[in-house]
This record gives sequence, structure tokens and C-alpha cells, in this order.
Amino acid sequence: MPGRKGVDDELTVLTVCGVGMGTSLILRMTAEDVFKQLGLRARVQAMDVSSAHGMPADIIIGQEMHTGEFVGRAPIVVTVRNFIDKAELRDKLVAAMEAAGWTASV
Amino acid sequence: MDGVGVADRPLVYARTRVAAADWVQAIQAACEPLLRAGCASSHYAQRCVDLVREHGPYIVLAPGVALAHARPEDGARRLALSAVTLRRAVAFGHSTNDPVRVVLAFASPDAQAHLGLLAALARRLADGLIETLRDAPSDAVAAALLQEVVDNVDR
Repeated sequence: MPGRKGVDDELTVLTVCGVGMGTSLILRMTAEDVFKQLGLRARVQAMDVSSAHGMPADIIIGQEMHTGEFVGRAPIVVTVRNFIDKAELRDKLVAAMEAAGWTASV
Repeated sequence: MDGVGVADRPLVYARTRVAAADWVQAIQAACEPLLRAGCASSHYAQRCVDLVREHGPYIVLAPGVALAHARPEDGARRLALSAVTLRRAVAFGHSTNDPVRVVLAFASPDAQAHLGLLAALARRLADGLIETLRDAPSDAVAAALLQEVVDNVDR
């Protein structure tokens, strides 16, 4: 039986933006706080979209202009509007993880 | 004197109620102090604009605020953070976060130097910095808000 994502197995999460050193870094901080709130184990990395294409990931988070190209390439792709809004990201993550059959909170 | 610490300390620049006709001018205005202080070379601002043209207005990371920057190899020489508030808001073409009243810009000389600064910035952004910056009554007050970010960088 496979381990539960974020509980038994650490989630691999990528936050993406055009360059990979500004907005995606801000989003990484927001995401780390949200995973902590949810009690989930996650390794969050910020990177540019082209690097992200070569990286295996459980979850990819970014703005709509970037997330479209990742649909089908990672089990969960979350599009957020506000990179500093923890509530928005938490709600979308929980919904996406439940839809994927993963434990969203413990 | 702690020479290493002083050299690594991010510089901050802020200007309030700046006139900008469009998002390009807004980015140029936010970058201008970085160029003038030698924290970035003269083409850095153009690279910041080019990156938005190439990748879209993703730098508008929350309603009303954009974070402009380019890569270290685009002429960034010294770690610095700049902010402008705009007399009139401009559109970046972002579907949900326009119009923009606050433009932040940073320069980082390498891929690591800015990590602490951005972490401190993220904490303050989540804590209402956009609104307090937007409403800052003077350049000095806005600069003090950025200095607060720098003072909270973990070291």
C-alpha cells in the first residue's frame, strides 16, 4: 500500500514563476506556512517554469499564465491569484488534494 | 566595525506619488534608484521590462502590487530593494490583480543573496505592507517601512 502523501511521504512541491527568484520565492514562503498549518510534510522549491518542466513534483503552484502548461504533468496543479493570501492557497490545496484522494489535513 | 555584515546589508530606496504613464514607466521608476546607486547596471531596468513581456504580468503577485526584478547576470551588482507608490494606478494586464499602485524592485548579485530579504518581505507583505506602503505620506516614511523589512532579515 502506498504511503499517504504529506503524511507518510513528504510532498514534493514546486512554486513557479518566470525567473524563479522573486514571485515564486514569495509564493514558496506562503506555501510553506500553509503546509505547516495543514500539518503536512512538504518540500517546497521555487523555480522558473522551464526548469520546473524537468522536475518531478506532486504539486505545482503558480499563476494562471504559468499553470496551464503543467496540467497533466503533475498530479495536482493549483492556480492562485494572490501569492500572499494563505487562505486562498489553503482552500484550493485542500480541494485539490481531496479531489485527488490525498489526505488534506491530519 | 563588522565589514562583512555592512557589505551584505541590503540597501533600500523609496519614492511616493511617482508619475508613471504605464507599467513600463512604473517599473523603470522603481528601478531608477537601483541604477543611480550602482546596485544595478543601466540595462537592468530594461531587462525587468523584457521579462514581463516574455513571461506575462506574473510579477503582479497580489492585488495592487508588482515585484519587478531581473537576473543577477542582467546587471545586478548589489543587494537592494526599492519601492515606488504611483500617483495614478497603472494596469499590467493582469486578469485579477490590476490596477497596480505599488511597484517593488530588487537587485541581487547572485542566486542566493536575496533569499533572506525576500523571506522577510513575504512576511511583511502577508502582514499588510502593501496598504501601509500605498498610504505612506512621504518618501521617508516609505523608506522606513522598507528598512523595517531589512531589519527583520534573519541572519
